[in-house]
Amino acid sequence: MNTFRKISQSCFLGATLMLTLYGCGSGSTSGNQEGSAESSHTQKLEIEKPQLTFGFIKLTDMAPLAIAKELGYFEDEGLFVTVEAQSNWKNILDRVIDGQIDGAHMLAGQPIAAGSGFGRQAALVTPFSMDLNGNGITVSNEVWAKMKPNIPADGEGKPIHPIKADALAPVIQEYKTSGKTFKMGVVFPVSTHNYELRYWLAAGGIHPGFYTADNIQGQVDAEVLLSVTPPPQMPATLEAGTIYGYCVGEPWNQQAVFKGIGVPVITNYDIWKNNPEKVFVMTKSFVEQYPNTAIAVTKALIRAGKWLDDPNNRPKAVGILSKSAYVGADSVVIANSMTGTFEYEKGDKRPSPDFNVFFRYHATYPFYSDGIWFLTQMRRWGQIPDSKPADWYSQTIREIYRPDIWSKAAALLLKEGYLEESEIPETDGFKPPTRDFIDGNSYDGKDPIGYINSFKIGNKD
Amino acid sequence: MKDKSIKSLKFIGMGFLEPLIRALSGEERKKNFGTFVKGTLFPIASIFLFITVWHFAAHALYNKEASVKIEKARAEQGEEAALEVQNCIRSGEVSCQPNTLPSPAQVWMAYQTLWKDHLDISQKKRDFNQQVAQANSKRADQGLAPIKYTGRPSFLDQIGTSLKTVAAGVILALFVAVPVGIIIGLSEVLRNSFNWLIQIFKPVSPVVWLLLVFMIVKTVVTDPNLDKSFIISFISVGLCAMWATLINTSLGVSTVDKDFINVSKVLNLSIGQNIFKIILPASFPLIFTGLRITVSVAWMVLIAIELLAQSPGLGSFVWEEFQNGANDSNAKIIVAMFIIGIIGFMLDRIMLTVQNLMTFSKA
Amino acid sequence: MALLELKNVSKSFGSGSTKVNVLSNINLAVEEGEFVAIVGFSGSGKTTLINLVNGLHFPDQGEVLLHGLPITGPGPDRGVIFQNYSLLPWLSVYNNIKLAVDEVFPKLSKMEKDLHIKKYISMVNLSHAKDKMPSALSGGMRQRVSVARALAMDPEILLMDEPLSALDALTRGTLQEEIVTIWSQNRKTAILITNDVDEGILMADRIIPLTPGPNATLGPEFKVDFERPRIVTEINKNSTYKRLRNDILEFLIEVGSTRRQFSDQKYLLPNLQPTYPGRRAFWKKNVNT
Repeated sequence: MNTFRKISQSCFLGATLMLTLYGCGSGSTSGNQEGSAESSHTQKLEIEKPQLTFGFIKLTDMAPLAIAKELGYFEDEGLFVTVEAQSNWKNILDRVIDGQIDGAHMLAGQPIAAGSGFGRQAALVTPFSMDLNGNGITVSNEVWAKMKPNIPADGEGKPIHPIKADALAPVIQEYKTSGKTFKMGVVFPVSTHNYELRYWLAAGGIHPGFYTADNIQGQVDAEVLLSVTPPPQMPATLEAGTIYGYCVGEPWNQQAVFKGIGVPVITNYDIWKNNPEKVFVMTKSFVEQYPNTAIAVTKALIRAGKWLDDPNNRPKAVGILSKSAYVGADSVVIANSMTGTFEYEKGDKRPSPDFNVFFRYHATYPFYSDGIWFLTQMRRWGQIPDSKPADWYSQTIREIYRPDIWSKAAALLLKEGYLEESEIPETDGFKPPTRDFIDGNSYDGKDPIGYINSFKIGNKD
Repeated sequence: MKDKSIKSLKFIGMGFLEPLIRALSGEERKKNFGTFVKGTLFPIASIFLFITVWHFAAHALYNKEASVKIEKARAEQGEEAALEVQNCIRSGEVSCQPNTLPSPAQVWMAYQTLWKDHLDISQKKRDFNQQVAQANSKRADQGLAPIKYTGRPSFLDQIGTSLKTVAAGVILALFVAVPVGIIIGLSEVLRNSFNWLIQIFKPVSPVVWLLLVFMIVKTVVTDPNLDKSFIISFISVGLCAMWATLINTSLGVSTVDKDFINVSKVLNLSIGQNIFKIILPASFPLIFTGLRITVSVAWMVLIAIELLAQSPGLGSFVWEEFQNGANDSNAKIIVAMFIIGIIGFMLDRIMLTVQNLMTFSKA
Repeated sequence: MALLELKNVSKSFGSGSTKVNVLSNINLAVEEGEFVAIVGFSGSGKTTLINLVNGLHFPDQGEVLLHGLPITGPGPDRGVIFQNYSLLPWLSVYNNIKLAVDEVFPKLSKMEKDLHIKKYISMVNLSHAKDKMPSALSGGMRQRVSVARALAMDPEILLMDEPLSALDALTRGTLQEEIVTIWSQNRKTAILITNDVDEGILMADRIIPLTPGPNATLGPEFKVDFERPRIVTEINKNSTYKRLRNDILEFLIEVGSTRRQFSDQKYLLPNLQPTYPGRRAFWKKNVNT
């Protein structure tokens, strides 16, 4: 009897809880389905694997995934996609390689490093580039105060942008003489942030340190010690004084301004105009096993990118991204980094219309030249330890960047009327040589060796 | 009549009302009222006291954080900025709200949001299933797996995943710890030789277990269709939690009452019968005490493990909300905290019941 | 040849300075069909003696022979009724007995077993309680189950280790009679260990006192020649009974007092039944041992 009473007691507890749960939620059962209003007229490919799971990191540039799902672009293609937040870049890479997720939002450097000998090796492919730009470099208030006198000012006394690392060099020297090492944070060893920060520093004559087989922290000969810190922890680490600056994606630069703990000095748009930032990655075996599925995924993502670059759609995009399943931050914070302005020093808001580019400038096309740029930087800083011949660069990138898949997808979209002719680049995969860098150095993807040798600081071949 | 209603109340688990009914029906009024107050009203009062303290503490923290913000603005950007921050905080705008311990009211609101969210998601799930019903029946004909709902899980789904993980982990612990416990309990030599290993592994942190399991599962499980994160998390939960059962089982087996052993010897029972008919039943009370500890440990380590293994349960809910850092994220985390606590309490109750059922009294 | 024979048996526990000689130089022969009672003070080594017979212990010196062959271990040919009943608390009365029956008669069909078990349950008058758990039974009823279990094994020898000492006087009296009645139905060989001289006289054919330990040994035997069935009230009046009782008691007291004279030295008693304090309290809240 005693035991029986206890059972029924616990049952009752459960029942009460359930009742309470039901009671307070009743009356709000209406669903709010968000789907594409326009009737779909996509031609469905024969999908080999309709049920898919994609991973992402909580950053605004995962937007194409969220949009393709929420606006029903995936379903238009006959894909049933689950989108799942992942804890960090290492984890996302491992899970794609191990097949736990079918594809993911990744740092552009990740599939390239995985195919070129740095870190965990696996055959990964990129059929879709997710966005351009979107990062910034922030320094602490103290460093900013010391830097500011070194920066030329305009008529109103405002610093002239872009700010070069030359202004930072004396500060680093000052720290050095007082016996302090100058430390800065990046989000991942093969992240765009790492290469951009290094590029910016080296362009100002500051040595960011080499990677060697023994020193995989990349701190050999370094005047600035770079360390890895996850994006959301960046502001807190800066505030704690562990690092004096960092390079990170949004909203973590604006957050520093907002909290008054640091000052963004430059965006990566000014370091390399329209640089590729995140890519969509699947394994090579997936693309080979399910070719139609890969094309269908790319189609949906291209449509999402195009939708995102319509300024009228940005508020709705912010609303979707602020859902807890996606980026989840308050919509005001997300809006701050997607509205086309960038706030440097508190109150110094400047227009930055191309800060988040999802489609314009053929942003979604995976250019070989963009990928090769990452390879040159890996070689420059020693992540690729040995000298490689020029054709190694184009061969390696052809294994990873797959514009062929993009082109098939785009051709279908063109036929279906979702794309215009002008939106498909006529290219051999290489952008024309450009000087759109902060140091004005010329980059031609077809001459990687020459590019590597053109730098003052860095490994030479 | 009175006894009958008391009996039925006890049946539905409201036995704590018994003294009240007895008192109302005039039976030993004073004593029964006293019992009722002590047994029921005091615990309820303590909950209210807790909420009150929490409420005031949250307000104090809110004010502190707000004034720090204003002071900081004043020190760094002058009086005007301070005023602006102050107004911004007063206006309740999301972007400048102090981010601190949420008050009980905020937590209650977050709970309602989560509940509404659950209803929305279940509606979407139904719509989705209707939508793909035709495609699924076609796929079934072709021998393909049906299309499953692709939206994110609701809070209740996540609770379900967590419960499933704990259940699988505990069952694993049961199947590993009980046989091993019996084997080492039967032999003093084995017990002594394993003792060190057990003492070394017992305090190992859940995170380390997870990494260890990850290394092994990654190699062993190659089928991409299997849900690896679930496998990893339930194995880790099982490994973290099984030690109490293992130790209790071996203790129970090694200390079976001499009388029962004598019975077994006199009856000349075979080893198997000895174990299953005498030793095992005789150790049940201790084994189930161990299992009860195992269940509570499993529930405790679950959050950390799910968080790291990306298993879509309460752990990843808490982590995601922490990462989101939205205005109501802290409140949602506290909702999760209470749900975790209440479920843990209920699991313990259930295990206590099972334990009592399994415990025999010799007298 | 005697059915059971103990020849110069000695048994000690421990070693070195803690060595205790419990029994020394025990000689005993039990004939088939005989009911022997061994009477002694508590702690004299009676349980050790019975354990030597049922095979839970083995002698240090001498030998224990059954049918002329040394005993190699416990076996169902010797049914034991333990002092503390030793029923398995998680099994009902029926299943406690079934466990023994399954073991001893594995070949019986299900129905035969059922009949067999029920027969012994009714023999000890427990038919109404056959599905009860031991914890729901009184001490006397539990010991009846234990008796039924021992008998259901149809043993050659029935070993009773102070079976009634934990019971109150009234229950004890009735159970004594019941056991004798059941025993007399087929007159199995029986050895009763007891600390109650009256009990021995009422039940046994022969009474052998065990001197107090350490180094306990058997004293001279006393024949009990009363006709069966013996009726307590009548025996109580009998003068032979009184004399017999006095003789045995006198012997025991005499040996006891001589023992005591040189018992100034401390004896370390063997810790025969190590128990787990927590668990015993857990299971045996009200055991009156």
